[in-house]
Amino acid sequence: MIAPMESPLVLVGWDFRRTPISIRERLAFTPDSIREALAHITRQGVLSEGVIVSTCNRSEIYGVGTTADVEEAVTEFVAGFHRLPKPDILGSRYGLSGPDAVRHLFRVAAGLESLVLGEDQILAQVREALRVASAAGATRSVLHRLFQQACAAGKRVRSETGVGTRATSIPGVALELARKVYEDIDKRSFLIVGAGDIAAIFYDLLVGRGARTIDVVNRSFDRAQALTSRGGTPRRWDELPARLPHADVVVCATASPTPLFGAAEASAALDARRGRPVLFLDLGVPRNIDEKVSSVENAFLYAVDDLKEMAARNLADREKDIPKAEAILEEELADFLSWYGSLAVVPTVTSLRRRFERVREEEFDRQLSRFERVAPEDREKIRLLAQSMVRSLLRRPTVALKEESDPVRRVERAEAIRHVFGLEDEGGSE
Amino acid sequence: MISAALLGIAALAFYGAAEGFSIASLRKNSDALARGTTILLVSGLLCHFAALQVRARKLHSVPYRDLSDSMSFFAWMIAVTYVFLFFRHRERSTGPFLIPLVILFQVISLLTRPATLPARKELSGSLFAFHVTTAILGYAALSLSFILALLYLVQNRQLRQRRTGLLFSRLPALDVLDRMEHTAVAVGVAALAVSLTLGMVWAQKNWGTVWDAKLGATLLVLVVYAVALFSSPLGLKGKKTAFVSIFGFSLVLFSYTIVNLFVSKGHVFR
Repeated sequence: MIAPMESPLVLVGWDFRRTPISIRERLAFTPDSIREALAHITRQGVLSEGVIVSTCNRSEIYGVGTTADVEEAVTEFVAGFHRLPKPDILGSRYGLSGPDAVRHLFRVAAGLESLVLGEDQILAQVREALRVASAAGATRSVLHRLFQQACAAGKRVRSETGVGTRATSIPGVALELARKVYEDIDKRSFLIVGAGDIAAIFYDLLVGRGARTIDVVNRSFDRAQALTSRGGTPRRWDELPARLPHADVVVCATASPTPLFGAAEASAALDARRGRPVLFLDLGVPRNIDEKVSSVENAFLYAVDDLKEMAARNLADREKDIPKAEAILEEELADFLSWYGSLAVVPTVTSLRRRFERVREEEFDRQLSRFERVAPEDREKIRLLAQSMVRSLLRRPTVALKEESDPVRRVERAEAIRHVFGLEDEGGSE
Repeated sequence: MISAALLGIAALAFYGAAEGFSIASLRKNSDALARGTTILLVSGLLCHFAALQVRARKLHSVPYRDLSDSMSFFAWMIAVTYVFLFFRHRERSTGPFLIPLVILFQVISLLTRPATLPARKELSGSLFAFHVTTAILGYAALSLSFILALLYLVQNRQLRQRRTGLLFSRLPALDVLDRMEHTAVAVGVAALAVSLTLGMVWAQKNWGTVWDAKLGATLLVLVVYAVALFSSPLGLKGKKTAFVSIFGFSLVLFSYTIVNLFVSKGHVFR
């Protein structure tokens, strides 16, 4: 039986909001170093369970502590593990325990704490963090349940609110648009004009989404060849007009000072396509595609400013849904805490009773040694009196703990009682 | 025995609930709600079928001869075609726009009193029943294609004007709408062609002639839709197909109303 209140849930972390990148990169963990760190920290007895969430924006250690000053001990450990002076990492550290630590993890999993609100990678990273820690044997029932519930909460926020739905990056918005013209990206043909950084980002994105037909047209054929190393066909610059009719989506990202084609070329391409629509994405500054293309039937033209505007609008829409997301997280938090609280109450009551009984025994023995001439039957009466006093004293706090229906309050009460009576050193197991 | 009206009301309730679920599933993007929509819709279909069965037994023919019956039958056929489209294209986001059509005609049916018409011998028999059933199926599929064509034009316009709000994000992709519309038109054209053939056989037998104003109107409808359906080589795709579809539907309405009421002699629902 785990005794959560004598070994509280804690979180010690450093994130992009509070910690400069120069320190954050030194605090990062790889999967291997996570396994090593968890083995050390549990062996040293700082934590009985641990999970490390380490991404480029945060390094967080969640654990079940074994001592009262567990946050300090974890910070000490991290400083030692990464060979950093403790003062360097102390200032930007945040430490949370109990319900606050749980709430923070749920917010992280839901993407509410991310640099880009609602981004969806973090959920997979949280799930991976649990997998690595479980494989390392560093999780038992509390953290296992906590992280599973965090993933469920994150998933609920994504499916029931708009916090993670619409794209907020230019490539993401572009892909969203493409999928509103042609649903199946993998069955469509794409034409990328240019082979610079932006073209490369799009190429990676399309390959990642399973697009198989990608033509890359570039002035320098060598660069087009280099870009299409993972699939697609490099094309010479003069093939552009001939390739236009074959493309369902055309992405232009060149540094050309003048438009590469205009309405006449687009119109000819669309005529050859018998009215099948084309999405033109113009990412060039200055523009690569003449604005008049947007007036051609079945041609949809979006320039980089349009995409930026859509991304900003989508982000604003996401922000609107934050309260809804937080309400879902509070539901999930209550659910977790009611389970966690049920773990908390029993050991707290047990150790409180044990503490009182021990005081009674010690005091009884100490005091009774001063009254030598007490008759044995009176001694028994005094013992019974003391026992009944202890029972009366315990009745109220026991009822207060067991009958509190609000899980957050129940955990807080259990914590308060443990703190007031100094039960941290008291064993809680029956 | 439960009355047809009661079963019809139950079906309407199921359709209403399905509409509610489909809107909610679109807003929340929830699979559970989408499954609920399908279950409710199919339950509505079954109730509705039972209602039609009760009427058919009473009339000893396909229930179509007055406004109430024909609207109910029409609503049921729209629901059947929508469920077919849903499973064929696995696209649930058109539900909120297509289910209201079922609700509309079922409401009209429930608000009008079924007439008690004398049975007519020539109107019983399976040939005639199939003629009526396929005709109503054809019109039901074409009404769905009309709504899908409108959705296509809405989505097309939003893309063109760069209005990428909630409706834009919730409606399916242009090519999906295009494909769904083609399926609906294909079902409609096939059903109408079968109906037309059966009708001509029946008319020859009972009237001694195949010609009727309704036949002319239906032929015209068929030609217009066949153009929409098989016109890819003509460069008709997407937006233009949608326009043809909408024009064809206006002909259907014309054939259903004006031709029925004023032109056709023997081809009236009564």
